[in-house]
Amino acid sequence: MAQAQKVTFSGWVVRPMMRTMTQFIRSFVTGKPNTVLYPYQKLDLPPTYRGLQTLDFKKCIGCGNCVEICPNDCMWLEKLEDPELGKIERPGVDIGRCLFCGFCAEVCPTCAIHMTSEFELANRDRSKLVLGPTAIRDDTYHERFAEERQKQRLPVLDLSKCTSCEKCAGECPEMCVAMMPMDGVGTSKPEISLHKCTSCGKCAEVCPEKCLVMTDVYEQYFEMPEPKFVLKSCTGCSACAKACPADAIYMLEMPGTEKALKDGKKGKPKKRAVFVLEKCVGCGRCFRACKFKAIEMPGVEK
Amino acid sequence: MNLFEFCYGLMHWLVDILNNIWYWLGDFLPWKFGDFFIAIGDLAKAHGTIAVAAILLEVLIIFIIALVSVLNFIWLDRKFMGRIFDFYGPYYVGYRIGGWLQNLADGMKLFVKEVITPSKADKAGFLLAPVVFVASSVLALSTIPLSPDFGVAVNRAGDFVPAGALFAFAAFAIAPFSILVAGWSSNNKYTIIGGMRSAAQMMSYEIPLLLTVASVCLMAGSFSFVDIVAAQSNIWFAIPLALGFIVFLVCIVAEVEIQPFDLPEAEAELVEGWTTEYSGMRFGLFMMTSYLRSYVAGALVTALFLGGWHGFDFIPGPIWFLIKAYIVFIVLTWMRWSLPRIRVDQILQFGWTRLMPLAMLNLLIAAAFKTLGWF
Repeated sequence: MAQAQKVTFSGWVVRPMMRTMTQFIRSFVTGKPNTVLYPYQKLDLPPTYRGLQTLDFKKCIGCGNCVEICPNDCMWLEKLEDPELGKIERPGVDIGRCLFCGFCAEVCPTCAIHMTSEFELANRDRSKLVLGPTAIRDDTYHERFAEERQKQRLPVLDLSKCTSCEKCAGECPEMCVAMMPMDGVGTSKPEISLHKCTSCGKCAEVCPEKCLVMTDVYEQYFEMPEPKFVLKSCTGCSACAKACPADAIYMLEMPGTEKALKDGKKGKPKKRAVFVLEKCVGCGRCFRACKFKAIEMPGVEK
Repeated sequence: MNLFEFCYGLMHWLVDILNNIWYWLGDFLPWKFGDFFIAIGDLAKAHGTIAVAAILLEVLIIFIIALVSVLNFIWLDRKFMGRIFDFYGPYYVGYRIGGWLQNLADGMKLFVKEVITPSKADKAGFLLAPVVFVASSVLALSTIPLSPDFGVAVNRAGDFVPAGALFAFAAFAIAPFSILVAGWSSNNKYTIIGGMRSAAQMMSYEIPLLLTVASVCLMAGSFSFVDIVAAQSNIWFAIPLALGFIVFLVCIVAEVEIQPFDLPEAEAELVEGWTTEYSGMRFGLFMMTSYLRSYVAGALVTALFLGGWHGFDFIPGPIWFLIKAYIVFIVLTWMRWSLPRIRVDQILQFGWTRLMPLAMLNLLIAAAFKTLGWF
């Protein structure tokens, strides 16, 4: 067992007094005390400080991932009418219940939610702590502050224009574009293996219909759940496509399924949903919108 | 012109003005009432009356100087402590003068607080203890002159009391008795422990303290503050008696019971020590008096070791005295916020095996200097 160091006169008296005198000189003669006079002076908060949320209406797509992940259940989606953006759904926050974990900002697929360094949120009225989407709206926040999340340039497919010409698959130097056939439709669509893609943009250059566009996509912190499609249950009602906030679902006609009508003409063909998973944000809205159990999404509650 | 003559002149002037009114009333009113007012005027004009009033005025002046010093000391203490611990200290109340008014605000707050006497307390002792504590501490001020012309305890010729130092230390040493009474009568375990600790602490520091005082009196050849300070006109006693100066400083810290020796009021161990049961302005009085005792301690150190009112001529003597007392207080505060509190089982050993031999050695040195004829 180590012997405790013996404290002598210098340790009891001289060194403490020298220590306090140097501190006094440091805070009175050569500098200022360490504390700040709070209401008049404030500390410089770190840029990653988690204070009040701010919402960029133009970036937000209303997917509701923030509402899903909120551990305290303090966010909700509010339907509102915007003169610029039309009918939209945007999240509000109840900071009386918020624990400022920052999950909403992390999970947001478009980085529309940011945590600001605003911390003076106390109010005498509890109902004033419930802030709707318009109260936390700040469309210019991302211009004033550097984005903390990394972006990735990826080719994003507009399936409505795609002609399945396979030029993109032939051009890709990394061999990461594969033409996957779509059941029932008869054609195939390019699927991009995202972790192999080097963002060279050759597929987008070569596309004759300009349906592959290089887009900045935020890197995700969270692993997204993916929808799984069951073709035989799909009725082609397109409820999922209407529900999708990211426009990742396209309704394509399936040739050969037309019904013969009474007058001998052929009716309209049946439709099916096709998912472009590069655009999907994993919100589970299609899963909830589908009334025929044609979409399965493991890990998402209905 | 000394303080007494100044006060006498002032009171005489006041009495003359007032006597005009009395005598005018005496002439104006019918004979019985008139005689009454003329009698009042004659009484006021008498030498004894004016002298008593002048002495009261003197006491008031000295007391006001002490109280203003107390306000300054509390402010200095808190400011200095703040800077030592890297924060601002009092700031908002009177921020143009560095938060000086914070003490007055605290005092006002203490005035409006409820004054509680515990139901099971010994009422007489509980109420007597603050009186004795405050009165004895103020009494110690009476024989300490700020300069040969500026003091209370003088005779008609202007000479100070011959044994002023003895009286000051005697009055200063009454406080542990009142602390013990307060601790006992509060009927609370923390207060009684605090009071007993005060008595135990007094045993340890009083002897080396008085031995160093004896060495100073030996060097000066007198018990009077004026003679002691006059003996330091060439060299301060802090230089030949450096050892005694340090011992005296340590003992005076123990005497006023501030931080390294605040055993009776050990906030970390006993709640608030012997003042636990006192509330409102009674506690405020205790706190004020503890700083008043710091002022007395500073004055004693100044008079005995730092040459009292001697200094350069362009500053008057009393101001020199106060400057030195303030510097001593700052040193005490520096010790106060730096050093760890001594443990209750170490205090007697510390006082008797460390301080007392040093004080004896110091007395020996003083005797040697005196024998060699250097002083």
